[in-house]
Amino acid sequence: MVIGNRNPLPDARSRSAEPAIRDGSLLRVDDLHVSVHDGAATAIRGISLNVTPGEIVGLVGESGSGKTLTCRAVLGVLPPGCAVERGSVSFAGVDLTNLSRRDWEQMHGSHIGAVFQDPASYLNPAITVGHQLTEVLRVKQRLGRRAAHARAAELFAAVGLRDPERVFHQIPAELSGGMLQRVMIAIAISCDPQLLVADEPTTALDVTIQAEVIELLLHLRDQRGLAVLFVSHDLAVITELCDRIVVFYAGEVVESGPAQQIAQHPRHPYTQALLRVASVGDFGRRELEVIPGQPPPVGADIQGCRFAERCPVAMPACSAGAVQPVPVSYRHDVRCLRARDLDNAGELVAR
Amino acid sequence: MTAADAVATLRGPAGATPLLAVESVDVVLGHGVRAAQVLSGVDLRIWPGELVGLVGETGSGKTTLARTVAGLVDPRRGRVVFDGLPISRLRRRARRAERRRGRIQLVFQDPLRSLDPDMTVADIVGEGLKIRGEANAGEIRRQVLDALDQVGLGAALLARTPGQISGGQRQRVSIARALAVGPRLLICDEPVSALDASTRNYILRLLDVLRNSLGLSIVIISHDLSSLSGIADRVVVLYHGRVVEDGPVDQVFAAPRHPYTALLLASAPSVRHDRRLAPAQLRRAPADPAPPAGDLDPAACVFAARCPFAADVCATAPALEPVDGRWSVACHRHSEWRQQAST
Amino acid sequence: MTGRASSRSRRRSLLRTPSFWIAAAILAIVAFLAVFGSALAPQNPLAINAGALFQGPGAHHLLGTDYLGRDVLSRLMAGTRLSVLTALEAVVIGLVLGAIPGVATVFLGRWFDFAANRVADALMTLPYVFFAVAVTAALGNSLPHAMLPVGILLAPGFFRVTRAATLEHARAQYVEAAELLGASKLRVIRVHVLRKVLPNIAVTTASMTAAALLAVSFLTFLGIGVQPPAPTWGGILSSDLDYLSQAPWAPFIPGALIAITVGALNALADAFRDRSSAGTLMPVGQPDPSVESVDGDRQSQSVA
Repeated sequence: MVIGNRNPLPDARSRSAEPAIRDGSLLRVDDLHVSVHDGAATAIRGISLNVTPGEIVGLVGESGSGKTLTCRAVLGVLPPGCAVERGSVSFAGVDLTNLSRRDWEQMHGSHIGAVFQDPASYLNPAITVGHQLTEVLRVKQRLGRRAAHARAAELFAAVGLRDPERVFHQIPAELSGGMLQRVMIAIAISCDPQLLVADEPTTALDVTIQAEVIELLLHLRDQRGLAVLFVSHDLAVITELCDRIVVFYAGEVVESGPAQQIAQHPRHPYTQALLRVASVGDFGRRELEVIPGQPPPVGADIQGCRFAERCPVAMPACSAGAVQPVPVSYRHDVRCLRARDLDNAGELVAR
Repeated sequence: MTAADAVATLRGPAGATPLLAVESVDVVLGHGVRAAQVLSGVDLRIWPGELVGLVGETGSGKTTLARTVAGLVDPRRGRVVFDGLPISRLRRRARRAERRRGRIQLVFQDPLRSLDPDMTVADIVGEGLKIRGEANAGEIRRQVLDALDQVGLGAALLARTPGQISGGQRQRVSIARALAVGPRLLICDEPVSALDASTRNYILRLLDVLRNSLGLSIVIISHDLSSLSGIADRVVVLYHGRVVEDGPVDQVFAAPRHPYTALLLASAPSVRHDRRLAPAQLRRAPADPAPPAGDLDPAACVFAARCPFAADVCATAPALEPVDGRWSVACHRHSEWRQQAST
Repeated sequence: MTGRASSRSRRRSLLRTPSFWIAAAILAIVAFLAVFGSALAPQNPLAINAGALFQGPGAHHLLGTDYLGRDVLSRLMAGTRLSVLTALEAVVIGLVLGAIPGVATVFLGRWFDFAANRVADALMTLPYVFFAVAVTAALGNSLPHAMLPVGILLAPGFFRVTRAATLEHARAQYVEAAELLGASKLRVIRVHVLRKVLPNIAVTTASMTAAALLAVSFLTFLGIGVQPPAPTWGGILSSDLDYLSQAPWAPFIPGALIAITVGALNALADAFRDRSSAGTLMPVGQPDPSVESVDGDRQSQSVA
């Protein structure tokens, strides 16, 4: 496997070109607060998460919970009107919150890649996908035309496109949604980033193609040590793919931990509710569950736990003051005062 | 067995006549060089009070089938019969009269597009009644409130426009509009795809309740199998415009007889991974020998090009045949492929 | 990572931009003059005063006098009616002949559409001046007669715009939903399509009025349709140009009047267009995140 010229990390002046990984983490989000609508509301409050090299971390939550905004903060592409108020995002020791545009250009592609939900809207409809990939290779890795073409064909094969030479000369309109998403992934990994940020990449795909893309991401992780930050509203997809899960609710992280641990021993009432409504994996006849109520409006000012008004086991203390996350197990944290009182099904147990 | 005999065995409850009969329907969309055969020889029966899940991926023709049943598309061959009346053959005026009777209603996929953004909820839900000529405004209002009540919405929304209510509420307004005219068959095209899991389940449960309380037949088109398993009686699987499997949902999901259905089920993500076959076992590997038929060969089995169990016999299209009571499959190897997969 | 001002607030304030209100104010004045101009004119616009030719702006004649000693201000005020009303006459003719077929053609089938489009194409090739000359020669030289051909030639523009807008709205899924309920085509147009096409018609009307006003001015400038000594803006401009050496300032006044009015009409058209596109910009699939759940939602109670 050819490893292209990876641009050195910005701020790595006196250090070597290899990324410095502190505390074993590749991406570190610390107490991130993001405001929206020109500071009118705080959409993200105190999000902290960690991605270690080769780890697949899943962000799950309803729309409006802040998971997409977090992704965009990591990528440095917050929408207009949004700003980081507090906290930091750092990648391999480099602080991303105040990065200059030039340093971002180095960061994008060579260290952090991205794929999004609708691949067709991120590709130029008039240019062949092959040329869109070689353009990236020629600009970022300064490959010559022939070398770029060869590398592009390699990449297309690596993402599972059959007949890469043929695909090279096709425009987006001639490819299916699944193939386009593979093209996007090829472009995203073309300069060997260490982290891939994927925001709902499979939501718009057919279920059979979704399964193939999930297998592809796992394969890329195994082969290249690619770490993935995967965002979805679908808990089932997250548990299929991810090593760790971070559960978002109303702009906060309410639970985070190993995926299997959370799937089998959820400790936050919201996570438990999500599991009840999600596809549990058996297709037998069952009662379809719902979560009563609605999440609070974005940026709402709520005293204490933000899930309290919908929570079946809320108590007065929950709304008294801010609730801090507590560990309930190895690397498994829950932001809930009752975390240790509940069993897997959300029933109270005697202490 | 001839095709007609096979179709005749798609029985419902003993002696009952189907409410809807789609008979060997071919649908071609587009003109000239861009004409594409979207449905081929589709046979489908819906009995009163049934809730049927229609499953298929992009390009399967499920939306076209819904539109054909609703009368928006004319079949090139075959016909659609509703309650004994061949509705696909009606002329313009008779068709409009039949539409005004409102016996078949279609709930579209995206309520943002299917609800007029400048109309209030009251006008939207009452439109069918106004078109019918229920002169009395008070009576219309009463029926509108009734329909909204059935979907769990109240009078407070009457003056709002679609942009002023949430996604789940919009979809419920769309359903209320269909209910207001008193249909007997409701076809819902991906009614919950754009909604979060909780709202999705709520609306599916609502449809189940409506089916029971109003005696409706409901067809739910979906690509999400697990939510259907909670409420559907039957599931019909479409692939490239043909029905490949049609049977009771519990049995089909427990042990699907068609490899494509099995692939769908295996691919569906689940929190607990207790399925017996992995998707990779149900796909052709690159090393496999060439399939007995190409992707577009109309004479062959529609799934042959993608099927890891395709044999020479699959070069001829299999008919939809009953295998067990009300369960039918279109596959030559339906009893053998599973053994091959497990080895 | 700072953000820019939200584009949503920018869109809403368009109606509050000064240009819209300035344009509206100018047009209000013009409209007022069109109705009351001749009554309020300080002097008789037709009164010839041989002793006061080519006077510059002064106390007695605020904008001076013309080559016959007539008060320029009074002539302009009185001329507003003729110019503006006849321009409007042309616009109304164009609107009726263009917009109605434009909406109907979408629903009347392919043959009608084909024929209507070819008629519109043919009309758009005709130059209005020669058409106006021909019609006034045949029917008699008066402004209403001159405005008829202008109106006919404005119709294709209305037709095209209305047809395009109607096509777009007629393909909407809610129209399909209405048809499924058994709605007739007429009902579909009346209930679903018309109200959405009106903004486009309004925009087109504003720009067409500007075009018609220019046409009136040009035709009266050429002497077509004018019955001397009735004052019209274009006619005044024309006679002023004849006497440029004696009164070099004179043509600017009617010229400016025409330019300002036409400019105001176009600015109004722009404001309509911007406001209507902001209003109908429905982000498909993206519900407004600021919408909260309504009390009418009984979901929380009905769920067991």
